[in-house]
Amino acid sequence: MNFKNFQNLEPFEFNIEKKKQFFQKHINQLVKHHYNQSQQYKKLLNFLKFKIKNVEISKLPFLPVKLFKYYDLKSVQDKNLFKTMMSSGTSQNLPSKIYLDKENAFNQVKVLSKIIKTILGHQRLPMLIIDANINKVDRNMFSAKTAAIKGFSIFGSNHTYLLNDKDEIDYKILESFLSKYGKQSFFIFGFTSNIYEHLIKNISTKNKYNFEKGILLHGGGWKKMENIKISNKMFKKKLNMNINLYHIFNYYGLVEQTGSIFLECPKCNCFVVSIFSDVLIRDKDLNIVENGKKGMIQLFSLLPTSYPGHIILTEDIGEIVDNDCTCSHRGKRFKVHGRSKTSEIRGCSDI
Amino acid sequence: MTEIRDIEYLVGSKKIRNKTITPYNNIICNFLSDLSKELNLSEESKVYPDIKTLAFWCRKKNIEKFKNQFKSNESRLGLGLLFHITPSNIPTNFAYSLVFGLVTGNSNVIKVPSQNFEQVKIICNTINKILKKYKTLQDMITIVRYKNHNFFTNKFSLLCSARLIWGGDNTIKEIQKYSTDQRSIDITFSDRYSFCTINSEKFLSLKKNGIKTLAEKFYNDTYLVDQNGCSSPHLVVWIGKKYKKARVKFWSSLKEVVEKKYELSESASFDKYTQLFKDILSLKNISNYEMYGSQIYTVLLKKLDKDNHKLRGKWGFFYEYNTNDINKIKSFINPRYQTLTYFGLEKNTLSKFVLSNKLRGIDRVVPIGQALDMNFFWDGYDINKILTRVVEIR
Repeated sequence: MNFKNFQNLEPFEFNIEKKKQFFQKHINQLVKHHYNQSQQYKKLLNFLKFKIKNVEISKLPFLPVKLFKYYDLKSVQDKNLFKTMMSSGTSQNLPSKIYLDKENAFNQVKVLSKIIKTILGHQRLPMLIIDANINKVDRNMFSAKTAAIKGFSIFGSNHTYLLNDKDEIDYKILESFLSKYGKQSFFIFGFTSNIYEHLIKNISTKNKYNFEKGILLHGGGWKKMENIKISNKMFKKKLNMNINLYHIFNYYGLVEQTGSIFLECPKCNCFVVSIFSDVLIRDKDLNIVENGKKGMIQLFSLLPTSYPGHIILTEDIGEIVDNDCTCSHRGKRFKVHGRSKTSEIRGCSDI
Repeated sequence: MTEIRDIEYLVGSKKIRNKTITPYNNIICNFLSDLSKELNLSEESKVYPDIKTLAFWCRKKNIEKFKNQFKSNESRLGLGLLFHITPSNIPTNFAYSLVFGLVTGNSNVIKVPSQNFEQVKIICNTINKILKKYKTLQDMITIVRYKNHNFFTNKFSLLCSARLIWGGDNTIKEIQKYSTDQRSIDITFSDRYSFCTINSEKFLSLKKNGIKTLAEKFYNDTYLVDQNGCSSPHLVVWIGKKYKKARVKFWSSLKEVVEKKYELSESASFDKYTQLFKDILSLKNISNYEMYGSQIYTVLLKKLDKDNHKLRGKWGFFYEYNTNDINKIKSFINPRYQTLTYFGLEKNTLSKFVLSNKLRGIDRVVPIGQALDMNFFWDGYDINKILTRVVEIR
């Protein structure tokens, strides 16, 4: 798999037909790569009776995302491992483990930065992080959160953590950040739930803080957001009203496909698919649904080379949106409606 | 700290008595007969089939059947006060447990699921209504709901003469941390494993309607409780050479039933898909798998092993194995095995299979369709005997 072949491409440059051809070719190569490099992947594909040949992306086998919780899936030799990323896992919930070699880790950063630059531009902007200082927390707690903050930090400078140890806004820090950097573009990053908690719900409105020049990138923190039930529209409106913040970008991405994230289009409020990724929606019989119908989100990424996470079925519910958005980005658009509801099981066993 | 003392008395009050009356006393039988009639006539029973099933189960004729099973030369009395801990995900199970306790002449404290099931409310309201006519029984039925184990579980455990603990192994372990009186006994209904056996030749000789009926019965044993009942089969053992043809016919007709009656959620579908992948990666004894839509997943096993009881499916995920003689699987049966449902095999063959091989598991052998039928023989216990004591008089 040679990523160099397309690392000079821009994320949203192809039209639909060109993207389709480009993506199909490279994702099929990637399937072959993992088939040859991962014993487990090979075993799975053999069982599924999948023959390696160039097929449409909808015909390619997809792994359920939870598999990365139960198995150490790798397509590289252990001696070439560079780092392991973990998703947040609670007590009943094992974390996903993603094994990276240097090349895969490098490609993640490369593509992430291509995508992020479309909203931040080429300069590193002063960065306000809506979280407590991750460098102060226990090293062993290296979580998805820490990984995300670290990952996005490379796009900023003068990193400033807004929250204190008690997870409250430190107003001294806020005022000093805004007076130093608030008059030119600056970058704000945080989990959606933290943005809601601190910049919408709790921020003091006595002094009207001015975030007019800020560019907010937020995502994740879903579990907490589920109970809050605030629409994306209202979320934005509150930020407009409370702190004069207008440049707001939601992102969607899974630790299993770090790098090829999806950014929200400010015009149509849908996530836009870059040339490095693709999305399909499947119903509960695992059939592809028509655009506009809801179902489970299947994600494709050209980045995973050291682990077979290139085609996964998620538990998230979403839909493909057909629209003629007038924005400059080309690419498929979709919406995410949250995690599928866990079924209450009947029966007497508690396992 | 008031929270831990939050308790709801759905029937009865905190005045809990440890008294007994004669097992199958007329008062009890009449009470249950009234309960059956009342539930059956209620509007709600039309909405909740499980209430209808309960009503049918505790009808006069059935209780008389249990009474006949009880009759013996010994003199027997109830143990005293029973403390029932019922499973959190079957709304009506508590009522069956209550009937066990009542007919054997015991007083009962019953902990119902903390989730607010409508069925629990309906049954409790009906009991309250009928109890007005039955003064003797009024202090013998206490139905409670509370969340935290500690305070009340401790209290009731110390008061009772026996505990009936339904639920998974974890629940049982949790409850058994609370001590009881030295004489008190625990009757535990733990996680069990059940399977099914079908004679392929006999199956293939069925007419179209026969196949459909059998598929419906199998559906009732499994999908009706999301395949998560302890008597729901996880494994189908095909007997005979024609199993390849038989199994395709069987699963295809089951699929038709499931499609009509069952609502599979996205998350259940996702879980089944994940389980298939886990099985492919973890199991050494798989030969193939098949999917009938997302409704049915089946994994075909080349051979069985001693850990077979750990292969459990949910929401319609089955394992299959083929052999020419049921006796060939005897060495895999362990005490975890509870129910064997069957079609096309002689009762005699199956009775020999369990008894002559002196198997350490399998407490029930019943035709397909009766897996979930509650009986006074359950999990290898004779409820009539275990909830009463013998009084020897010479």
